[in-house]
Formats: sequence, C-alpha cells, structure tokens
Amino acid sequence: MSPILAISGLSKQFGGVTALAGVDLAIEEGEILGVVGPNGSGKTTLFNVVTGVHKPSGGTVLFRGRDITGLAPHAISRAGIGYTFQQAMAFAGLGVLENVQIAGEHARAGGTANPWPTPQALLDFVGLSALGGEKAGVLPFGSLRLLGLALALATRPSLLLLDEPAAGLNDRETTALVGLVRQLPGHGITVCVIDHDMKLMQMLCRRLAVLDFGSKIADGPTEAVLADPKVLDVYLGGDL
Amino acid sequence: MNAGSALKPLRSLLPVLVILALIALVPLFSPSNRFLSLAISAGINVIALYGLSVLFGQTGILSMGHAALVGVSAYAAAILARDFGVGFWVALPVAAVASAIFAMIVGVPSLRVGGHHFVIMTFAFGQLLAIVLTNGGDYTGAATGLDIAGPVTLFGADVTELTRYYLMVVAFVTVAAVASWAIIHSSYGRTLRAIRENEKLAASLGINVGRHKIGAFVVSGVFAGVSGVLLAYFLGHISPSQFSSFPSIYLALMVMIGGARLIEGPLAGGILVAFLPEVLNLDPVQSRIVYGICLIAVIMLLPDGLIGGIVRALRGLFAGKAKQEAERDAAPSEARR
Repeated sequence: MSPILAISGLSKQFGGVTALAGVDLAIEEGEILGVVGPNGSGKTTLFNVVTGVHKPSGGTVLFRGRDITGLAPHAISRAGIGYTFQQAMAFAGLGVLENVQIAGEHARAGGTANPWPTPQALLDFVGLSALGGEKAGVLPFGSLRLLGLALALATRPSLLLLDEPAAGLNDRETTALVGLVRQLPGHGITVCVIDHDMKLMQMLCRRLAVLDFGSKIADGPTEAVLADPKVLDVYLGGDL
Repeated sequence: MNAGSALKPLRSLLPVLVILALIALVPLFSPSNRFLSLAISAGINVIALYGLSVLFGQTGILSMGHAALVGVSAYAAAILARDFGVGFWVALPVAAVASAIFAMIVGVPSLRVGGHHFVIMTFAFGQLLAIVLTNGGDYTGAATGLDIAGPVTLFGADVTELTRYYLMVVAFVTVAAVASWAIIHSSYGRTLRAIRENEKLAASLGINVGRHKIGAFVVSGVFAGVSGVLLAYFLGHISPSQFSSFPSIYLALMVMIGGARLIEGPLAGGILVAFLPEVLNLDPVQSRIVYGICLIAVIMLLPDGLIGGIVRALRGLFAGKAKQEAERDAAPSEARR
C-alpha cells in the first residue's frame, strides 16, 4: 500500500541555517507515527513545510500521490491534512461551539462518513461539551489543547499532524489526550505526532522517526529505534 | 437548529429597527432645515460606517482611507450624470460597483502586507485619490470639484426636498443595518471573525485568509459606494477635500466611538459625531480637539466603543447582582470546608 504522505528530499534553509537537510519520510495509512528529536532538530520546521506555513527550499511532499509541495496553508488543510500548533490556539474572543462551527465550515466535501457530524458531537468526543457556551479565551490550558484538537478534527482530515500535543498538560490530561488520539485511526484518520517526550511517544506510537540537525537518523519500530546506539547518542544525558 | 436559536439573532436586530423607526418619525415634529441637513449627513455617514463595521469590527482590519471609497462613487455618480445623463437610481448600483472595484484595487496589494502596514496603505491610497482628483483637469473639476444636478425621483415623486430625502436616507440606513446584521450572523461573518481572532489558525482550518480579507474590504466598499451616491446628490457639489485624509479619519473615529462590533455602534457613532459640535456649540477647531479626546478616551476606557461599554455596564450590573446572590448561596459550603 502506498503511503498517505510521502516526503522526499525535503530541505529548508533559513538564511545560512539549514533546518531540514533532505528528509525522506513516509507516513503509512492508519498508523500513529512519532517524530522525535532534540530541540532544534527540525521537527516543527518539518511540520511547517508540510503544512505550507513555510515554503520548502527543495524536495517534494506527496499526499495520496498528489504533489502538495509549497501549497498555501488553507489549500493543504482543504486537501485533507489537519494540524494543531505547538502553542495551543483557538479563536479566543469567540464561543467554544462557534470555534468548532467555523472549523467545520471550510472542510473539504469528504466522501467518507463523518464520525462527528455536528460541532456538538466533536465537543462530546474531546470532552468539552459542557463548555460549549464559554468564550474560548477563558478556557484552562488543558481544555484549550483539547479544543485545538477538536478544531483540527472538524476540518475532517485524513491525516492529522500534532505538534507537541501534550506540552503543558498534567499527567491526567495527557492520559486523556492519549486515549483520544489512539481512537483516531479507527475513524480513518492517520496521525503523525512530534514531541520530545519519550514517555508519551512510547504510549502512542508503534513506529518512530528520529531527526537530528535536520536529518533523519533513525526510522522503525519504537523499541528498535529506542535501542539504536545513534539515537541513544543524540539523547545522551536525556532520560530514555 | 431549533426555533429559539434561530430567533435569537433577530432579537439583536430589533433595537436598531425600533430606533430607526423612531428616527423616521422625527419629521412629524417639524424639525429645522439645519437639523434635517445634519441628520441626512449623519445618515449618509452611518451607511458607510456599517460597511466599516464589517471590515473593522468583524474582520479586524482598519481602513484609514475609507472616505476615498465614498469619493469614488460620488465622483462616479457626478460623471455619469454629466457625461451620460444617468440618474440617481442607475448611478447607485454602478457607482457602488465602482467603489467595490476600487476597494479591490487598493486591497490586493495592501492586504498582502499585514496589520499596521495596511492602515498606512489605505491612508496613502486615500491621499492619492485626492491628488488625482485635484489634478484631473476639467474631467474631475480639479480642486473646485463637480456639480451634480438633477432631481431624485422615487415612484414618480420628487424626493429632492429635504424631508423626503431624509426619509429616503433613513430607509437606506435601515437597509445597511440589516445587511450588516445579516453578514454578522452568517457563516461568512463567522469566517471573518475567525480571521480577526487568529489568521494563522484560520488558515490551518482551510480559510483562504487573503481572499476573505480582500472580500471584506470590497463589501465595505459597496456600503461606501451607496453612501457616496447619496452624498453627491444631497450636496449637489463634490470636491476632492471631502474625501481626503480628515474625512477618512472621522469615519474611523465614528466607528470606534460607537463601537464596531455591535449593530447599534455605527448608528450611535455617526449620530454622536454629527450632532456633538451642534449640541455643545463648538467651532470646527474645538470639535476636532473634542473628537481627539473622545477617541483616546474610547480606546483606553471602552475598547468596544460607547455601545459596547453601555452593554457591558448593564451586564455587569445584572451579573453583579447574580454574583452576589451566588456568593451568598455558596458561603455556607465555603465555611464547611
């Protein structure tokens, strides 16, 4: 089966700094892939280039065989790639329910059955249904993260990119989030998570790819990758 | 969606309609011609302000050259009347489209640069238009401007007479208010608010931010266009200085003072700024000083404008009572802990 997202030779330079140095990465349909690496290894840049926030300096991104390299963010979203930001975000001045309504209104016309046909159903799924009438700006941080997830899901993605989804969450909130993310492949949503929290990644992902200085240094089953001497070297001093 | 939630937005329109109905009754009290003239000018501004409220209140984009959009249609109406013998009702849609097109021409390059740069770009385009009109020779009447003659008729009746024109302007204000209300409560309005709140997030959800920002500017241009035709036919004479930087700043000021996000805001702002110097008996220099002070006060104290402030104060009053009661109820359980 061909991968849902095929990244090949993807590179990005910011002035003289190389953030991505020709990364190849395939995301398979239905999996939860983890992309790890120390700070500054190019994880977020990888997401930003795939989602159109930054234009790549070279390489291609194929989504279900379609070349989406360098498309604008809204076009990438409409193609079926949803994503959440490292900084939890919502439309702070608008109601929680209105937030999800907006997110659903620009979704592509998907042929598949929508697991969450209404904004309310999505709020139920992420556990925010009681807060639908609140302004998004007053939500506690943990709820804001969940709302961010609901917004991305409202666009009916077939691939969901999560940038440090558990950053700033306590253990209980993290466990709840992991529970939600694990259900997504069952709803036909492939997931790619980037994070440096190895505990989270072990809970979520059966496959890991490791970035270091903008290059992929390992890619394979989670256990094997974590035993890889190259990976251990990168994380030397870190608690694996 | 049940009937209750479908009716809720209608309720927000009701106060404006009631106020406008009362305003339409003013001629019964045989007001002076001076009063009617001021009211007509205010109403014509309010129409443009409703467009500006879509742009600034909903989308979060501030135009400091909005009078130029009014000017484009005013001049279009005058030139259409002079060169083609076109009357008011034909000029109205044509000139509104001209303003919309001008808005697009300004918007495409200006909205590529974000935020504060856009404000400066609209200001520059506004000045540019005034310069072009001033140097347009006989075609634009140079600094003197153009006369626009010809009666405005409605169903065969001449409405050029002051009271009738007043009522027609009130009708147009009503249409503008309803149109602005319809935009606010549509999914299009929601999209614009999303852009106002967070452009990056909006784009990630499939919203074409650039196109919608230009779209909102064009929509505000249509309102400005209608306002311009009414202005040209009301004054009978237009000149470049009416559409340069000061009138643009006044429009921005009015929408900020009234409050851009609420449907009553443009109406309040337009009326207040038109009648304040009259009521306080201020000369033009004094009134500029007062406007300046008002603007600073509103920005610092009432970020949602006068109407927003009043609504907040009322809510605070009721919420305060509710809170006190809630606290009284909660107090025993606090004590138990």
